[in-house]
Amino acid sequence: MTSRDVHDVLNLPSDHSGAPRPSKKQKTSASRPNLKGLAREVQNLGGDNPIAIVPEVNFFKKRRFASRKPVAKWELKAFTNSARGDDGALVLRHWKKKTDVGAPVEGGQDGEGQQQGEGTSGTEDKPEDSAFAKFNVQVVVPHYTEDQYHSNLQNNDWTKEETDYLLSLAKDFDLRWTLIWDRYDFQPTPPGGDAANGDTSTAVVPAPKQRSMEDLKARYYEVAAKMMAVQKPAQYMTRPEFELYEMMQNFDSEQERKRKQFALNTMSRSKDEAREEESLLLEVKRILARTERFNEERRELYNRLDYPATDSDINSFKTSAGLQNLLQTLMTTDKNKKRKSIMPGEGVSPSSGVPNSAVSETNPANRRESIAASATSNHARRDSEARTPATPADPTPTSAAANKKKGGAQQPERRKLTQQEEQVYGVSYHDRLGSGPTFRYEKINKLYSHKSGQQQLRITNALSELDLPPRLVMPTAAVTAQFEVLWGAVTALVDLRKISDRLDGEIKIEEAKKAERDRAKGIVPEAEKEKEKEGEGEKGGVGEKDGEEKKDGEEKGEGGEQGGQEGEEKKRPGSSGSLTAAGHKRSASVLSAASDKSAKRQKK
Amino acid sequence: MAQPPLSSSVQPTDVYGGDEVSAIVLDPGYIHTRAGFAGEEMPKQVLPSFYGHITSSQRDVFGDQAIYPRADFEIRNYMNRDSAVEDWDTATKIWEYALIDRLGVPRPTPASKNGLNNKPKPAADGDVEMADEADLDETENYEKPMQENPLLMTEPAWNSPKAREKAIEICMENWACPAFWLSKTPVLAAYAAGKATVLVLDVGGANTSVTAVFDGMVLKRSVQRSPVGGVWLSSQLRSLFETSEPKVEVVPRFMVESKKPVEAGQPAEARLKTFDFQISPSFRAFEEEGVLKEFKESVVEVWKGPGRYLAQGNEDYAKNLPGRVFEMPDGSNQMWREQRFKVAEGMWDENAAFPSATEEGKITKAQTVPGLIKAALDAIDVDVRPALLANVVVTGSTSLLPGFNDRLHHELTAMFPSVKVKIHAAGLTSERRFGAWIGGSILGSLGTFHQMWISRKEYEENGAGIVEKRCK
Ligand SMILES: Nc1ncnc2c1ncn2[C@@H]1O[C@H](COP(=O)(O)OP(=O)(O)O)[C@@H](O)[C@H]1O
Ligand SMILES: [Mg+2]
Repeated sequence: MTSRDVHDVLNLPSDHSGAPRPSKKQKTSASRPNLKGLAREVQNLGGDNPIAIVPEVNFFKKRRFASRKPVAKWELKAFTNSARGDDGALVLRHWKKKTDVGAPVEGGQDGEGQQQGEGTSGTEDKPEDSAFAKFNVQVVVPHYTEDQYHSNLQNNDWTKEETDYLLSLAKDFDLRWTLIWDRYDFQPTPPGGDAANGDTSTAVVPAPKQRSMEDLKARYYEVAAKMMAVQKPAQYMTRPEFELYEMMQNFDSEQERKRKQFALNTMSRSKDEAREEESLLLEVKRILARTERFNEERRELYNRLDYPATDSDINSFKTSAGLQNLLQTLMTTDKNKKRKSIMPGEGVSPSSGVPNSAVSETNPANRRESIAASATSNHARRDSEARTPATPADPTPTSAAANKKKGGAQQPERRKLTQQEEQVYGVSYHDRLGSGPTFRYEKINKLYSHKSGQQQLRITNALSELDLPPRLVMPTAAVTAQFEVLWGAVTALVDLRKISDRLDGEIKIEEAKKAERDRAKGIVPEAEKEKEKEGEGEKGGVGEKDGEEKKDGEEKGEGGEQGGQEGEEKKRPGSSGSLTAAGHKRSASVLSAASDKSAKRQKK
Repeated sequence: MAQPPLSSSVQPTDVYGGDEVSAIVLDPGYIHTRAGFAGEEMPKQVLPSFYGHITSSQRDVFGDQAIYPRADFEIRNYMNRDSAVEDWDTATKIWEYALIDRLGVPRPTPASKNGLNNKPKPAADGDVEMADEADLDETENYEKPMQENPLLMTEPAWNSPKAREKAIEICMENWACPAFWLSKTPVLAAYAAGKATVLVLDVGGANTSVTAVFDGMVLKRSVQRSPVGGVWLSSQLRSLFETSEPKVEVVPRFMVESKKPVEAGQPAEARLKTFDFQISPSFRAFEEEGVLKEFKESVVEVWKGPGRYLAQGNEDYAKNLPGRVFEMPDGSNQMWREQRFKVAEGMWDENAAFPSATEEGKITKAQTVPGLIKAALDAIDVDVRPALLANVVVTGSTSLLPGFNDRLHHELTAMFPSVKVKIHAAGLTSERRFGAWIGGSILGSLGTFHQMWISRKEYEENGAGIVEKRCK
């Protein structure tokens, strides 16, 4: 039976009516491959269309049989969770794969396996700990004692009670301020205690303050920062610690409030406003893009107009050979530039463009770097000390390439330390030091060496009067700095006293002269002499004034003083002794005032 | 080549942080009470929160199959219109029925571990007595019926401290659960959506509520609710039927003996059943509610927007949209066109609501869905608002109304034009209906959650007040 027969039986029109029957039959039977395991008759039923035969798939079955193992046993195991902190009071049970003592422990993930092993081999008296207990992490909120609170954390706006409440909320809600503020509901305990509802009805219970989120944050950061500083002074903090500290210290609730107001306004914009803003933003973007392009063009122009480097020594150009050399380099750079100028925009031919671009990119960087290097070399030594603790500044990628060429010896650009970093690392800037080790007290000795012996004496006298040893016991940087201030004050006072002494002397001379003039009127030569003297005095006077104002007429002043002392009566030692004594007393009182001042400054 | 199907080190539950301790999740709502085991994807038991009360014998019967026309029969609800438990005694009974009889919580003496339905339910007739007997039986035989199963219960975001304490008392005293937890429905809906910071819009039975959830916790200031839910929508439907021309009468199915097909708009030709006892109004109302629910499911649609339904031209446009035919149980049927949009419009636009006969049916602008969302967002910190608007989770069965999410999106973008608004609504009907329960199921089977449970010991040491301290 063929398909044609089927067609006949079902009275269907034959699809190949024209074709001769026998030949077709032969053809089909010949061309069709003989499918195995299928009766010929069945095959023929398919007609011209081959029967679709889907091979039997036994893939899945095989796999299943191949992996046949004894069925895994599960058991209901008790467990506790140590994160609860209740010593395993809550025992829950879950299904776990049973691990036999002999069988390899397979399921142990998160270190659970060992405990399981224990559990099954030993008695079941101690349930295992949950593998999830380790995920329990908590925030650390500052703690303070009563004393610490009173000495550090007093605030007019906050009672200790409320601060405690705030911190407990912060802990409960893991410092999520949205939640803290949401749940913040501080009820101060009435001052009258339990008697409040009775007789003390007149006592006004302060209404709990409405706290904004910024208030809460500000107070919390204040407490946290202060406690941080109490536990660890700022200079010992690590970098992240210090950053946190600074951040908390600088929390500006006012600014936050403004920012929120701004955010609120942005949110409540109308559709039109939003659209307008969007278009404005687009406009800004366009403008920025344009300026960028403009800058690009300008830079290119500058490149074209590039001048030869003038920061190098001109001596090399003084010879004719040097000049020749210069000319050569100028010409080559000129050539480079001509090609380069076309390069960045259109890129005429990539083959010439690429190497040039490499040159043009490294060139300016190199130059800048060499300048920077020469500049740094001066400060390099003093700097290195300050730099070592700092993490090396990461060089910018463009210059990093150039850097490699030079062996990466210098850092391309010196990173500027911010003020707070300087504070953290203890960086300070001072005058250049001589080579070799120096001692700080030497610096103080140097101050003395400028002074005359007499002045040195006076200064040491003044210092000993203040109970200060001439040589500092512990000349730390801070102490020497303070000492220098004090020393400056002392010298100023000594100078002033010197001036006042001289003034006294001169007044006396003038008085003596006047007396003399009164006595001997009419004698010309003497008068001339006097005139001369007067001139001298005037000179001295001018000097005094200078000295008073500028403190630089020391030499002259001293001269004047000497003159004054000469002009004095003969019993000089006695009088001068009394004078200095008086001067001492005066200067001592002034000095103490001055030291008071300096002490105040120190406190600050 | 041969590969074991799953080695124990790749147990999927462990991989996803799951750790099932056969906790039970119970989600009582005004319309339905849902119960099941944590870790499953659907509550095994969904009972109506309405129950039957037989006045002659002062007995309560629970479950759908127990509610049929019978003598001296009233329908009551143990929940109140605030979606909180009102009648604690009945609540205890209904929950025991759901958990112990229906869910078949395994006993401490495990006769049949797989006893999910170890007590085969007989046909509707004899059922009630059996169930009640069983109830007595169980509680007498087993002093501590749920000794092995921690219980996770849900509560509305505005639940009172008293109610919370009552819940833990029942759990610990009556059922002797080893551990208890109380979670707010919006939080759980957020978990069901796989998110921790969301704005949850729950359009349920007795209430529609909007709650901001931040990092898995409710922001209390944001909680807003209104009666505009499924029940209110039903009352709107009644108003619609009242004002239709001719009036449409709701005849519940149990009253119809037989019916003949009639032309649309023609009066019904049906023979009604007669009962030799009084049918109480509460029972009739309950049955009518069933018809209204069908109407909601098949006819009512939310006007998608843009713009409100009452805005210029929209109503005319709605009139030309293809209508839907609804056939009442008594055979009367009618084509519903623009009314099917209009009836749900009150949820969005207080001016479009049908005038309500009762005082509580009237709503204000603040009670509409946009009003609730606006109030909720206004009450919280500006910084979180954009994050919330980008994560709006919609849950509750009434949100299944077609067009609901489109309309919500339009309303929100109109309200906050400069903020990105994204709505996350589960595509599966069941996930929307059981949102809170599913979230509870996820939470209760989470390995890291087991440190949170309030244990029996903590309860015994601290008393019921602990629930206020712990479940924040
Ligand atoms: N497909 C649906 N379309 C519209 N409303 C529905 C749909 N399914 C159920 N409802 C309504 O939803 C309400 C129940 O919502 P649900 O979230 O289960 O409430 P609850 O959580 O208070 O028990 C009922 O009023 C019911 O009529
Ligand atoms: Mg609900």
